[in-house]
Amino acid sequence: MNLEKVIFAFFIILALSLNFSFFIGELSEPAHHHVYELFAALIVSLICTVMKFGDRTHFGSTVLASSLVVDLLLIAAAVTWGISTVSYGAITATTMATVTSLAGGALIANLLSVVLLIIETGQIRK
Amino acid sequence: MSDIFFLVLRRLRTPLILLIGVYAIATFGMTLIPGIDADGEPWHMTFFHAFYFVSFMGTTIGFGEIPHPFTDLQRAWVLVCIYTSVIAWLYGIGSLLKLLQDETFIGAVAQRSFKLSIKRIDLPFHIVCGYGETGQLITRGLSELGIQTVIIDLKSERLHALELEELGVQPIVLSGDITNPENLFAAGINNPLCRGIIAVTQDDHTNLQIAVASKLVNPDVPVICRSEIQDEADNMESFGTDTIINPYLTFGRRLSLLTSNPALHRIHNWFINQHSAEHINQRITHEGLPGGNWIICGYGRFGKAVEHYSDNRHTNIIIVDIDLDASGAPKGSIAGRGTEAKTLIEAGIEDASVIIAASDDDANNLSVLITAKQLNSKIVTIGRVSQETNNKLFVHAKCDYIMRRSQVVANEALTRISRPLVTKFLQYSSSLSSEATNHLITEICRLTDDTDPVTWRLGVNVDEAPAIVRFIDKHRSLTIGNVSANARLPRAEGIPLLLLRGGMSHLLPDPSMPLKLGDELLLCGARNQTLLAQKMRENVELVDSLINQNQHHIPLLRWLKRRKKIKPID
Repeated sequence: MNLEKVIFAFFIILALSLNFSFFIGELSEPAHHHVYELFAALIVSLICTVMKFGDRTHFGSTVLASSLVVDLLLIAAAVTWGISTVSYGAITATTMATVTSLAGGALIANLLSVVLLIIETGQIRK
Repeated sequence: MSDIFFLVLRRLRTPLILLIGVYAIATFGMTLIPGIDADGEPWHMTFFHAFYFVSFMGTTIGFGEIPHPFTDLQRAWVLVCIYTSVIAWLYGIGSLLKLLQDETFIGAVAQRSFKLSIKRIDLPFHIVCGYGETGQLITRGLSELGIQTVIIDLKSERLHALELEELGVQPIVLSGDITNPENLFAAGINNPLCRGIIAVTQDDHTNLQIAVASKLVNPDVPVICRSEIQDEADNMESFGTDTIINPYLTFGRRLSLLTSNPALHRIHNWFINQHSAEHINQRITHEGLPGGNWIICGYGRFGKAVEHYSDNRHTNIIIVDIDLDASGAPKGSIAGRGTEAKTLIEAGIEDASVIIAASDDDANNLSVLITAKQLNSKIVTIGRVSQETNNKLFVHAKCDYIMRRSQVVANEALTRISRPLVTKFLQYSSSLSSEATNHLITEICRLTDDTDPVTWRLGVNVDEAPAIVRFIDKHRSLTIGNVSANARLPRAEGIPLLLLRGGMSHLLPDPSMPLKLGDELLLCGARNQTLLAQKMRENVELVDSLINQNQHHIPLLRWLKRRKKIKPID
């Protein structure tokens, strides 16, 4: 048991879970997607990225890359949401669909991160 | 690059996470706390506004409370946010500054820039291992010749001194342990432009290690080693170190030459010490060292070398040493330092002709020389300087001949590297008869007005001397005399010293000898003069007008361009 490893795995899995909880629901229905979920998913993903900094193994670089993809997509989603609320007062169905699908893309990358984490854990056991 | 980048990222992990955390909490809080708008209606900040506010608050720009004036609850939260964000920023910037001063980081940056410089090198270069007094002299000499150097030294303080020095070609420096082969690779030993390795560290064994490593990795690169211990020198020689320079033996040989053949010594002295002249009394260079009784104070490596090379038919060596048993001094030696009059009188200072202060302590050596002069004003004094900075004191003490260890090694190494023909000339010069030597000296003195001459090499090939090659190609013969002297340009005269043709050396070649393609000719002339051969090298018209007496008119532009290109030798 290693506290550092626990924290690391915690953040990676938390990023995936939050991402999923935001994504789930009707694609263009604003009532199904809460802005706080997106905010939490983005912050946790940013923290994950920083935690992966400096790992120069091949494995570490792939995890870092997938994490950067998550950041990119979630930031794009947040910016879309922010601009839409500022210019129209409230989010429209089409913009909501865009934001949700961007988050869906991030979900795939997050899933990959978790899969890589599990593979790495398996390798250590051998 | 990636090394440094990842090092920075790894070190900044904690401050970055802290910053993200503080910003996230502050933004989150701002969206949660209700405010009251201009109409008195409650409202909540959107994430966009919250992030905007936190961004300028965190960097303490402060645009005010927008979009609506805050309630007291909001202000309380902002107060908390201001202090935490300022602390997070201070911590982050502090970590970054600490990282910039970190040894690992500085080392990584230096290593990186060193590797880049080596990769970008486009001049032939020499690797100098050890930047002590010797390394410094060699680097300076090579830089004056326009040769690139790569310096490796363990002590980074020494290398920092280099930044202050004004050198023509800035050396590439690495502070690291040269006995680590990794550093030798990094310095570019396998680079096709590497022309040689010069191992001049203080320690003989380190020099040996460098020689072994270089010969194993790249046997084609010539290695020049400084060695002061015979065992290590033999070891170096056994695996083909190209040149081993022992300053004591070299100087001992020079003293013996100065006694037996002062004229030849003068020639050696001119050509080996072309870049930094040794301190030697002019009278001695002309007359040589007198025979008779020589007193050597200090029977160490230097004292032994002098004794070894001395000619016992003319000289009688008397040794003075503090510990006769430990130094293995021969019978009849006198115990003492030689710094006090009593010991020197015991050694027979009144009848002695030469005194050599050969210990490794500069203060003692100075004391010996001064006391000796007081007891016998006619005595010739030879002093050994260990610390380069004390050289001035020896000059003030009117020492007749000063042995500077690092200078001996540096000049020898520089001659080997930059003027191989001079090395050959000096090697064969011992076969010259004394008349020939004296004649050569007279010639040189006539040419240079009794100042030190300098040498220059003419390579008869298309790259170096196209005009001369073109002239020879047209089946007209060009003699050595044609390129060395011409009555129309008396100031540009040079004296041919050596002709290298197909591996054969011709000492003092006859001026009537015709030049052939592939020849190398060593000339000497006055300092700061342009030699005739230098002028003729690329100037077709000049060759034609001087040899065939044809008149030429050269366009002004071409004439100016040529003038710029040809530099006087120094």
